Amino acid sequence: MVRKPTKGSSNYERNSHRDRSNSDQSTISRRRYLRTGAAVGTAAAIGGCLGGSGESGDELTVGYALPFTGTYAMLGESIVNGFEMYLEQQGGEIDGREVETVRRDTEADTNRGVDVTRELLIEEQADAIVGPVSSAVAIAIMDTIESEASAIWLNANAGDYRITQDGCLDYHFRTSFNDWQTSAPLAEWVYENIADNVCLAYADYAFGQNSKNFFGEAFEEAGGEIVSEVGAPLGTDDYSTYLGQIESSGADAVFSFFAGSDAVGYVSAFADYGLNEEMTQTGSGFLLSEDTLPAQGEAALGMYSLLHYTPAQESERNQTFVENYRSAYDSTANVYACQGYDSAQAFATGIEESGSADPDELSSALSGMEIDSPRGSFRFNEQTHEPVQNMYVREVVQSDGEQPVENQVVETMESVEGPTWGCDLS
Amino acid sequence: MIESIVRATLLGVQSGMTLALIAAGLTLIFGMLDVINFAHGALYMLGAYFGSVIAVEFGSFWLALLLAPLLVGVVGIAIEMFSLRPLYGRNPLYHILLTFGFAIMIQGAVVQIWGGQARQIARPTMLTGTLSLGVVNYPVYRLFVLMISTALIGGVWLAIDRSDLGIIMRASAHDTEMVDALGIDVSKVFTGVFVLGAILAGLAGVLLGASRSVNPGMGMGIIIEAFVIVVIGGLGSFRGAVLAALLIGLVTSYGALIAPTLTDLLLFGLMAVVLMVKPNGLFGATEAA
Repeated sequence: MVRKPTKGSSNYERNSHRDRSNSDQSTISRRRYLRTGAAVGTAAAIGGCLGGSGESGDELTVGYALPFTGTYAMLGESIVNGFEMYLEQQGGEIDGREVETVRRDTEADTNRGVDVTRELLIEEQADAIVGPVSSAVAIAIMDTIESEASAIWLNANAGDYRITQDGCLDYHFRTSFNDWQTSAPLAEWVYENIADNVCLAYADYAFGQNSKNFFGEAFEEAGGEIVSEVGAPLGTDDYSTYLGQIESSGADAVFSFFAGSDAVGYVSAFADYGLNEEMTQTGSGFLLSEDTLPAQGEAALGMYSLLHYTPAQESERNQTFVENYRSAYDSTANVYACQGYDSAQAFATGIEESGSADPDELSSALSGMEIDSPRGSFRFNEQTHEPVQNMYVREVVQSDGEQPVENQVVETMESVEGPTWGCDLS
Repeated sequence: MIESIVRATLLGVQSGMTLALIAAGLTLIFGMLDVINFAHGALYMLGAYFGSVIAVEFGSFWLALLLAPLLVGVVGIAIEMFSLRPLYGRNPLYHILLTFGFAIMIQGAVVQIWGGQARQIARPTMLTGTLSLGVVNYPVYRLFVLMISTALIGGVWLAIDRSDLGIIMRASAHDTEMVDALGIDVSKVFTGVFVLGAILAGLAGVLLGASRSVNPGMGMGIIIEAFVIVVIGGLGSFRGAVLAALLIGLVTSYGALIAPTLTDLLLFGLMAVVLMVKPNGLFGATEAA
């Protein structure tokens, strides 16, 4: 069944990179869109009748299945920025083929996510799906990606390990991180450097639970003791009561998983109650990331977190990336932009290596491939297609930049290899 | 254990009094204008955003606390005069649709202007740190919020109960035509009530924005709680709203202590029980204000 593309709908934007320098971009891409849209529609219709493959001419199509509205809009935009910056650097072409990008808004909703993924795969004949941000959406679109089998899936943010455990898809490549990576490796470091007993505090939903479980298991394995566990509902307004429970646990350190506005509310209340003086705050990197630190400010000083990317990282590769990003978008690069950038790198090198956009050939080219990322180079694990990457322990310190505080890397864990969760694609 | 209970009680009273600022405005607007104002949460959120912008631009929390609610009041004037006024006396469904529309528009505008990232309102140094209250240490800022909210609620109550303006307000709610015939411009009174409600919501926004986080979801979150409070207290009753706000504040903070995942359930359970025993709420129907 081929549906007609919806013209001019608000969450729909087509962007041809060859046209980007053109001043009257919107008219041209609209006209281009009408033309190619009709062509693709017809091609798809014929293709559908003949049951043939989805190779559509010489152009490469990248479909963004990302949230562009709502709470996660900033994440979606950053991923697109990173991806398009890499394309610009390549002159808008990969392996001599023009790249076209299509945005679809998942609204971080599972049903909508499945719909837009299907649209991108069937109507737009996308060669790659970039996204989503939400793990719930990622789990929901696994079936579609697998059954269509027409595109590579560059997972630029959704970190739930169950995508590997339950899905274990040949087309899935995580260009971001998984929830094990941002929690478990920190356990041993905390045990050796901070305390031998911790309290676990987490946002009570799948990702928060996964993170605290991974950390808890690894911490006990290292010889430490979990004194207490405190779960707060997602979107809690006031953390006072939970902080009371954390304080009365008497632990010397706390490992926390909160993100976004929850992280802001939690960290400022933590400092408010003076808990900073009684215990050391540690957590997954999203507790203290570039999108929350400006609001957390000095309340976050001295807290430790674990993530695969930090804009303040002092490597030449990263400095260049941060500078280019600033001149292109007039803002500081963040972890999401880096994940978008690396998705583009993976797509490009995969195409160049295999000389084809066929997802099966792309997949075997990408498996085990090394990506020269701003975060430090990483490799896709042959068995799971998870990134084998450096993880960085960061401490929040005073900064003389535009924000009062920033993350400073205090320890680098090299090429952290995670569990395979029974997935073997090699 | 005692520590936890003392702390939860303090938190419950404090958040109850701040919630009362929001619920009081909501119930006054309903009691006098017969309008169910779904945009009230959005006005609360606007207060927080205005506050955070002013605090950043001018570096002063006090200026934010003073100016932001007034700016929200100006938005309130605009909403009342240009959109609500033509709809008075019509089916309440119109008011609900209109104000719900405003809530969505304001939320959309906030995301467009300030993005989806959470912000904060920086507090003055004199309000940071903790104060030892015997068994527990409690943040100075939260004590300040408790005091200022209580004072404001007391002030509003006095104004409604004792001042001439309060008498006119209550009279307008009771019999609009008669007050009009006596030579008082009722439409101005209505605008005044709506603006008062907006200012109180804006104030709560600044006060809470500085101890929680300022984000685009905060308005939708608080409006549910505020409605539960207004329903429990009795639609239109100021006294009821304040009492119910304290009750909800305490239930929420004790609930978080015992069963964090069930606090919402407790909230609505309480509402159901109150409505079964007293269908008009604690102070509903029998009194106007």
